Amino acid sequence: MAEKAVQRETVLSLRETIAQIENRRLPGVVRAAQAADPAGFRRQREEGSRNKILPLGVPPLDDVLGGGLPLAGMTEIRNAETRDAGAAAGFVTALAVLCQRRKREKGHLGPVLWISQGLASREAGLPYAPGLKSYGLDIERFLFVSIRTVKDALWVAETALSVPVFAAVVLEIRGNPACLALSESRRLHVRARAGGVPLLLFRQAGEEEASSAFFRLQIKPASAGERPLPDGSMLCGSIGHPAFHVLVEKSRAYASADIFLEWNAHDRRFYPIEQSVASQADGQSANSVDPFSASVGRSSGADQMGRLLAYARAS
Amino acid sequence: MRLVALDTLAERVGLRRGQGAAEARAMCPSLDVIIDDPAADRAFLEGLADWCDRYTPLVALDGKDGLFLDISGCAHLHGGEKALVDDVLSRLFLLGIEARAVISSSAGLSWAVARYGNAAVIAPEDAERVLAPLPVAALRLPAETVALLERVGLKEIGDLLHAPRAPLTRRFGSLLLLRLDQARGHADEPLSPRLPVPSFSAERRLAEPLQEEEHILELARHLSHDVRLSLERHGEGGRLFELLLIRVDGRVFRIQAHAAVPLNDADRIAALFRERLQAVHDDLDAGYGFEVLRLSVLRSERLDPAQQDFSGVPDESQPLAAFADKLCARFGPDCLTFATLAESHLPERAGGFAPLTDVAAVIGSRPVDEKACPENRPLRIFTHPELVEATAEVPDGAPRSFNWRKTQYRVARAEGPERVAAEWWIDGEGHPTRDYFRIEDQEGRRFWLFREGLYGRETSLPRWFMHGVFA
Repeated sequence: MAEKAVQRETVLSLRETIAQIENRRLPGVVRAAQAADPAGFRRQREEGSRNKILPLGVPPLDDVLGGGLPLAGMTEIRNAETRDAGAAAGFVTALAVLCQRRKREKGHLGPVLWISQGLASREAGLPYAPGLKSYGLDIERFLFVSIRTVKDALWVAETALSVPVFAAVVLEIRGNPACLALSESRRLHVRARAGGVPLLLFRQAGEEEASSAFFRLQIKPASAGERPLPDGSMLCGSIGHPAFHVLVEKSRAYASADIFLEWNAHDRRFYPIEQSVASQADGQSANSVDPFSASVGRSSGADQMGRLLAYARAS
Repeated sequence: MRLVALDTLAERVGLRRGQGAAEARAMCPSLDVIIDDPAADRAFLEGLADWCDRYTPLVALDGKDGLFLDISGCAHLHGGEKALVDDVLSRLFLLGIEARAVISSSAGLSWAVARYGNAAVIAPEDAERVLAPLPVAALRLPAETVALLERVGLKEIGDLLHAPRAPLTRRFGSLLLLRLDQARGHADEPLSPRLPVPSFSAERRLAEPLQEEEHILELARHLSHDVRLSLERHGEGGRLFELLLIRVDGRVFRIQAHAAVPLNDADRIAALFRERLQAVHDDLDAGYGFEVLRLSVLRSERLDPAQQDFSGVPDESQPLAAFADKLCARFGPDCLTFATLAESHLPERAGGFAPLTDVAAVIGSRPVDEKACPENRPLRIFTHPELVEATAEVPDGAPRSFNWRKTQYRVARAEGPERVAAEWWIDGEGHPTRDYFRIEDQEGRRFWLFREGLYGRETSLPRWFMHGVFA
């Protein structure tokens, strides 16, 4: 009996392999078996999905994210104000560069799709090809869609997620539109997981809102370091690699995360920067006083969380 | 106001074309006068020409009130020439149109008989016999020539048929004999069809009209199968498809769908139209249903059959192309764009986006010149640079603070200037030079500002603009 089951599993896995080679959908038998036999197939699948994490190379951030950026599913990145859109766009682009590089290393084409609500790209500017290129993105594999309404943008995102080609799909939305509420974000998340594509929901100038994303990161601008000179010293008064202040607002980890990073376009990776340097350079004026003490064990939306049981819907 | 056209009843009363409207009213007080609208007449005629697509793809407009249909090789599909004429006339009658139709071996003869004669189908050997009793006006000649001919007593075409040719040409010009030869079928007269003739097409005529969108799609799928067979036989793939729908009342709809790669897959072709139908949903009024559907390939390209390999790496161009097609079908061809670089000093010209019409642009590697892409360019750029109020310590130095979108920013660090001169070979001379600065404000936001005009040399009041934001 056991032998028969093993044989059956071999046959099924062979069929699955053939289906993958022929680039077809799974035959009905295999799908039925997968559904019926969660013990066997699920375990394999979960092992597979554990690989689908992209470490960002910054230990504190990777710890909070549980290993890195999930490569199948939705991650939300937001910024509070339109004028911070540059920093947030930089962080999103950096993630896209990392996803693209990983996909390219595996021999895939790895195009990046950037879907932008028309209003968002009018307010914060259009992506600029030479800038993206010097940022490390392969712009020959960069597709940009500008769409007038959020509904259409969601449709494009969903369609793109069902195509298992893209290295990353960026969905740029402005504010908290009503037609991107919890159920829609759930739908996108499920699509992204099924398609095995990382979806970066870039919420420009948006409020904190409950969503189905794995993580929600808020990006704030941070002062960049100085440009290094060949002899190792720093060029005084120059603007070096772009830096970000990342606040992890939603995560599974029970720890506050307030991380300063910089993106090195030449190495195409993040480097942590020391918080002391960063916060000193953060431009906090000397007489500013924190209204509440920083809470421990809360994510960094902190001071509001105490009196909120659940979020009101922002959209 | 003068009368330009009359219906049968008005003709019977004795009204004439060119008569004044007031005079006509006096003759017949119950006269209905409708203002002439040539544009609407033209649109109506084009609508009819569309409708005639059901008989042949070669339909040409003729003046204000006629259509030429080249039915070579089509008549047998409709049960012969006589049956074809009867079918055309009875259908047009049902649409409320009074029409005359003649089939003959030359366009000129058909024109003459339809307007001045009385026959439905003319065999080639009968051409001269039918032509002889018709008036010379039936030869499509200018009015002066007709008047001249009538003055010398050449009233019927029969008088011209056997007259010596040289004196006729000398007296009336070469057009007369050309028209005569064309009517007799001795000279060739090419018709120019309104629409390009599709290289491949498949068609269904339905006894029961279709109304539901799903049914149309299902039929489109069947048609795609037929088209696929002929495409495959020629080793081609279609790039531009057209679905022609003829409604019961004669209204014609044409829906075009563009494919990003040459296609000969029936499901993919049908899928194109699924998105298109969604997009044109409101414009496609099914009314009482569609009775003729035709799928044509307007543009095709060579498509060599590709073999699947067993490397396990799936071909990524096909799903990408399918995605591009879906998007283009729904939102138009400009929706999906890819990044382009151009050799230009001006930042707004150096980078842009172009519509992705061919997936090969993404698949194949485009050689990008390294020099074309300077460092230190912002990640996002404003299409129209935004005016800011900036204060600088020295007129040609970096700003100390600036107001952008009603907020003040204090500059912590600045790099620059990077001087970008205007492109005189495009814009002409006299355009101000720009000095670009990378700026970081006190909270760490990085901007790209430029000052327009060199202080003292080009302007005394340089303006500042926000052109982009850095990461």
